[in-house]
Amino acid sequence: MKKAQHTPHIPFAARLLERRDLSEDTTLFRIAPEEGALAELSSFVPGQFVQLSVPGAGEIPISPADLPAPDGTLELCVRRVGHVTELLHKQQTGARLGIRGPFGSGFPLREMAGRPVLLLAGGLGIAPLRSLLMHLLRQRSSYGEVTLMYGAKQPRLMLFREELTALAATGGLRLYLTVDFAPETSEGEYSCAIGLLPDLLKGFRFDAVNTYAAVCGPPPLYRCLVTDLERAGVAAERILLSLERRMRCGIGRCCHCALGQKLCCVDGPVFRASELKGIPEAL
Amino acid sequence: MEKTFLKTSRLNQFLETLRLFGELHGPTVSESGVHRFSQLHDPAELQLDYRRTQIPPKKYLLPFREEILHYASGSYSEGYAGAGDLVLFGVHSCDLEGIAYLDRVFLAEPVDTGYATRRSRLTLIGISCEPDDFCFCTEGMESSSCDLFLDAVADGFRLSSHSARGTALLTAAEQLLEEGPPPAPRPSGPRLLPQDPQLRFSEHPLWRRFASTCVSCGACSVCCPTCYCFDVREYPSLSGGGTRIREWDNCLFASHGEVAGANFRPDRLDRLRYRFLHKYCGFTPLQGITSCVGCGRCKEVCPVGIDLRELTAPPEREER
Repeated sequence: MKKAQHTPHIPFAARLLERRDLSEDTTLFRIAPEEGALAELSSFVPGQFVQLSVPGAGEIPISPADLPAPDGTLELCVRRVGHVTELLHKQQTGARLGIRGPFGSGFPLREMAGRPVLLLAGGLGIAPLRSLLMHLLRQRSSYGEVTLMYGAKQPRLMLFREELTALAATGGLRLYLTVDFAPETSEGEYSCAIGLLPDLLKGFRFDAVNTYAAVCGPPPLYRCLVTDLERAGVAAERILLSLERRMRCGIGRCCHCALGQKLCCVDGPVFRASELKGIPEAL
Repeated sequence: MEKTFLKTSRLNQFLETLRLFGELHGPTVSESGVHRFSQLHDPAELQLDYRRTQIPPKKYLLPFREEILHYASGSYSEGYAGAGDLVLFGVHSCDLEGIAYLDRVFLAEPVDTGYATRRSRLTLIGISCEPDDFCFCTEGMESSSCDLFLDAVADGFRLSSHSARGTALLTAAEQLLEEGPPPAPRPSGPRLLPQDPQLRFSEHPLWRRFASTCVSCGACSVCCPTCYCFDVREYPSLSGGGTRIREWDNCLFASHGEVAGANFRPDRLDRLRYRFLHKYCGFTPLQGITSCVGCGRCKEVCPVGIDLRELTAPPEREER
């Protein structure tokens, strides 16, 4: 039942339906929100985020890994990294959770229609980009060439590997996977933690004038890739960055996610590289 | 002529009338000599010649810590405790303007339930003041962001109403009032924005100078009438439920700009610059609106004497 006068800071109830470990510390959780939350969540645009509550622990901003399924369930890819995620990872199927959102701005899908899209994901950055990727592939004929370059630290930390390979096999997606180092090679010797993704990009020939690039990854990755993409000829307006901040309230009040005079939770989390020029703390 | 003049000798009776509208609070002095807003049990406690309280009246609208949600039997529900009617007497124009700014933040859609409830039950009575060395407001400012404003003159106060509630107060106190000339309107002037656009960048020498002394204690933010950043935490209860609270946070603390594996404002300089960018240049959607009301608290409490008035000095006066 949709509550009358639902205020956006009160989470809807949700249940943990299913969990699938993707790596030693990262799990894909399928969440079933209560009926009242479905109308709001169905407006989700890839790149937006939801606030997931683990009762007794707190709330974390998560960008869903896919659009809501037809039955309203939602996939959230979460790494065990702090207080709330630690407790989330201990939850068994059937556990009660809370959810509110979606919040923020997603990728400008209408503007991207008909254009080639290049997705660049580093590490856990694949999670928000996966919802965009799934959207692009479902609406395959509405977009130009779709390319995903995904870099992980090492093979066992690569998320969704089989799934991505299978998607690439259908011909709808050009896929480039890379790891920073493979343990099989000489011990302790590995390239720059972010070196390989920009290296991949260097050797990549594409229609830079028309391409939209979507980037998500650890903080240092953005600085490298924005420079490289611009050098390759992609306009800063078409370089879309999904940024991470600690959004507490999600509705532009707590100021925890500020970058310059912008707030990640309402102005982002997807920003154009052109919007962030002159904001020293943005990237 | 309207009855709008209150003789000083009738102030105590006037305060008694105000009690009809809610619990009466005003400026008092604590045992340790600190000015504060607190409940007025006795009119003798009132410190009307105060310069500024240490903590601004934002504490009535945004408590330092408050329970915002309760979790029990599988769902979250609103946690706000009900607010009673409160009359806050003797608020200076700067603090009234501070509340007006907080209104723009917390009463904008989506309306903050707790703030809105408390705000609707708060009656604000302003009073004119004498600026001291720490103040940097527009001189002679009279804020209309209140229900009633008292302009102190030689033997009493000239009252002006700024809301329906203010008019109701005047009616209730009619017996105590005398005819007098209506107070001359003194519109509040625009506050100064930093004159030097280069202040937006960390390289500005002023930031380097400030940062070399700043100890990141956060006092300027705690006592600022318009600083409202908050953190949110949740605590489990032994019965299986939980409580989510929000409490004042501080952008001068290193933890404020943290994300997993990085900090976007690791240095004091970055944090200082960030705070004043927010204060003077505003945030979405209040970009371009300065929220400094000139109360002077930050300068008074700063242990290392950082003076923000240097920010608004014309660029040519800056040392380069």
